[in-house]
Amino acid sequence: MARMNDVGGMTGFGAIDTTDDAEPFHADWEARVFALQRALLVKKVFNLDEFRDAIETMEPAAYLAASYYERWFHAIRTLLERKGVIEAGVLDHA
Amino acid sequence: MSGDHDDAVISRQVRLLESLLEERGIVGGDTVDEVIDGFLAGASPVNGAKVVARAWTDPAFKERLLADGAAAVGELGFAAGGVQHQRLRVAENTDSVHNVIVCTLCSCYPLRLLGPSPGWYKSEAYRSRVVREPLAVLAEFGVTLPDDVKVTVWDSSAETRYMVLPRRPAGTDGLSEPDLATLVTRNGLIGTALV
Amino acid sequence: MPDRLAYAPGDVVRTYRHDPPHHTRLPRYARGKLGVVVEPEGRAPLADIRSQGRDDAPVEMVYAVRFAARDLWGEGDHDVVLDLSESYLRKADADVR
Repeated sequence: MARMNDVGGMTGFGAIDTTDDAEPFHADWEARVFALQRALLVKKVFNLDEFRDAIETMEPAAYLAASYYERWFHAIRTLLERKGVIEAGVLDHA
Repeated sequence: MSGDHDDAVISRQVRLLESLLEERGIVGGDTVDEVIDGFLAGASPVNGAKVVARAWTDPAFKERLLADGAAAVGELGFAAGGVQHQRLRVAENTDSVHNVIVCTLCSCYPLRLLGPSPGWYKSEAYRSRVVREPLAVLAEFGVTLPDDVKVTVWDSSAETRYMVLPRRPAGTDGLSEPDLATLVTRNGLIGTALV
Repeated sequence: MPDRLAYAPGDVVRTYRHDPPHHTRLPRYARGKLGVVVEPEGRAPLADIRSQGRDDAPVEMVYAVRFAARDLWGEGDHDVVLDLSESYLRKADADVR
């Protein structure tokens, strides 16, 4: 069934905010999430298609509410928990 | 978008995850910093602009660029990036065709040549609309095209990455290749600007 | 000797109509639509299978396929090009149900 990421042709998202502050990351954690994703792909802990799948299967309202790198972190966490690399819920107590 | 509180929470979670992965021997302690530094040092729209300026001044290079983008940019020292193998397709603007790139399903983008992608490229607004009403989207970027120019939208749905080759502006015959490169903008390489 | 390609540039194809229960790289706006093959793009593991963490994903040719806006949306003068795995494509006259 259709997933929230599959937005081509949808209406309702409004005008495009064409401004760009040219900042690749807006917090240190965003850069670290970006780098963790690459490192885990290189290590073959998961592949890029699994990573995309984990973003796409977010609950639609949560997907839309999340920032770009919040989606990435959600996907990394979901896959690492599913594969038993980290214990489920262990990051809730950070 | 998240507030300061959410930022503090996720920041702690990311740090904890890093320490767990290091402890378990999966991602080494310095790896994250090395990846960030490598990315920020190697990915820039200046790279794409150099490719464009070369194509504007060297017809044989342009021919190779349009035939096999990855091999041609490799000549300038820009290895095709990405964790997986990626093909590069350069789409040439002409007096009858204007190209624009998008990834409607996620946010695929040629990072090495264009640098980190702007927020709007990853937004639902851009991804949903540009395949449906590209002229309206281009107008929001201040771009209007003559009626007889056809728009092609390239939706990056697999492992090919796209870059637009803008048209060389009129009146630039006397400019050197480095000077030409300074004219090329990141949006020009996406297709949301003319140059 | 490379395998013979299923589609050649200029071939008219229709995209698969199936709405799969898993990850796919055929956006819903381009399902069941007529398009024209631009060129083969190289082989890649099928994302639909690979996304399930399976290591038996078939390696398929990916084709750039050009669609007219009128065929996608019923209006518009632009084209949209998508990169689509062979599994997503059928010959134009084939039954795609």
